[in-house]
Amino acid sequence: MSRDLRKFLIINGIDRRDFLIRGSGIISAVLLAACDSRGPKAADKLLKYAERKNRVVERKLFRHTSMDVVRAGAYDAGNKLPSYFIAPTVPVWDETARGKWSLEVSGLVGNPVRLTLEDLQRLPQVSNRVNHYCVEGWTAVETWTGVPFSELAKFVRADPQARFVDFQSFDDDYHESWDIESAMHKQTVVAYGLDGKPLQPAHGAPARVYSPVKLGYKNTKYLTKIVFMPHMNGGYWSDQGYEWYGGV
Amino acid sequence: MTSPHPPAKVKSRKRHHWIVRVTHWVNFVAIVIMVGSGLRIFNAYPAFARKGEMFCCYPFEHKPIPAWLTFGGWLGGARHWHFAMMWVLVVNGLIYLTFIYLHGDWRDLVPRKGDIRDSWQMVKFYTFRRKDHPHQGKHNALQKGAYFALPIAGALAVLTGIAIWKPVQLSWLTALFGGYVWARYWHFIAMLVIVILSVIHVFMVFAVDPYSITSMITGNYDPALSPEARNARPFYHLLPPRRPAAPVPVAPPPTEST
Repeated sequence: MSRDLRKFLIINGIDRRDFLIRGSGIISAVLLAACDSRGPKAADKLLKYAERKNRVVERKLFRHTSMDVVRAGAYDAGNKLPSYFIAPTVPVWDETARGKWSLEVSGLVGNPVRLTLEDLQRLPQVSNRVNHYCVEGWTAVETWTGVPFSELAKFVRADPQARFVDFQSFDDDYHESWDIESAMHKQTVVAYGLDGKPLQPAHGAPARVYSPVKLGYKNTKYLTKIVFMPHMNGGYWSDQGYEWYGGV
Repeated sequence: MTSPHPPAKVKSRKRHHWIVRVTHWVNFVAIVIMVGSGLRIFNAYPAFARKGEMFCCYPFEHKPIPAWLTFGGWLGGARHWHFAMMWVLVVNGLIYLTFIYLHGDWRDLVPRKGDIRDSWQMVKFYTFRRKDHPHQGKHNALQKGAYFALPIAGALAVLTGIAIWKPVQLSWLTALFGGYVWARYWHFIAMLVIVILSVIHVFMVFAVDPYSITSMITGNYDPALSPEARNARPFYHLLPPRRPAAPVPVAPPPTEST
């Protein structure tokens, strides 16, 4: 112990044992107070700053050539794939009330379109057996069938100035916007089939966006609209504080 | 001619360079926050199995970690803390490792022939099967082992962390750890190793060498108070000092009898 500290302890009538007991008590109290908390409010700005910087790093790390590969021997999740939506009940497109479902593709495009499910199915089709990465930490292997987003972008003649894409749904006001690179990744599809069967309402029927390069919450289900944009547009979970980028 | 005035007392010596002291305490904060926020993230899905599969090697699948051990409040918040603090942890760790490499302090930490024997002697000493404290350098053999293992566990935690952060973009790294499920498991195990070593470290600091707290703050250390000099086993400094035997009363106090 330094001489000054020792003098301080002597003057204040604290012996070494007291010092240790009190010291460890104070440290434990601080740690306990921090437990299960969100941390100091003042840190929010710093965390926001870190998120912005991380987004720059993540976009730099992104490669169109990096593919998700399912491990040999991994089983399909099948009916163990969780079903999530924000509406109180499974969102189902009601044809009698809303007419035939169609997907609007618009924004900064040369050829804005409204595609029925049949139109979508006529576009080039792929099936990808890939991982689903949930923000919660679980993964699930599934086969998604649909039209590659890049084909759709070609079809509508997306403007090179469109740096972001917004995926909107009829699951209340759910939507998530993406950076264009992730959307154009080879494994990003507008999916209408799951495990060789038509997509069911539990997993986003009639069509949803699906990509292993984004966390689950970025993959909007129950699609109604895909909008090419010059700027980003937040999202349902991103606006509630989850990372906007959500890249894998 | 020698000086007529010999030094009055042994001067305390510099034990830790300021870079080591600063990185030590930054590391303390970073590890506490990384572990707390990591456990909060883990609690969002406290299991390792892929959906539709079983996982062999974790006996507490789907049992959440007690909330009081977690930090961040909710999944999104904990993730923000985790992904911000990871930079502090990594940069701080690199500064420390670079420094001890350039400054030569690594020599006090790398394992050498005889360390296992010396560790055994320390265990014998702590368990009262050896009377005198084994002779040591800057650290005893058990400490050396722990301080050498910590950066390795830290590197493993960082690498497995990157592997589950970017399992698609850096799939080669994830594959190196056996895929996402296993990389997540190794990330958890690396955290456990860090936590166990740290808990033992903190316990031993308070129990055996509380003077090292001051030396990790000011850098000064009085060799006369080293555990070796004090022959210190856990909690010896907290036991009341031995007093000379109390004089035996000459006559027993008179007792009243009825």
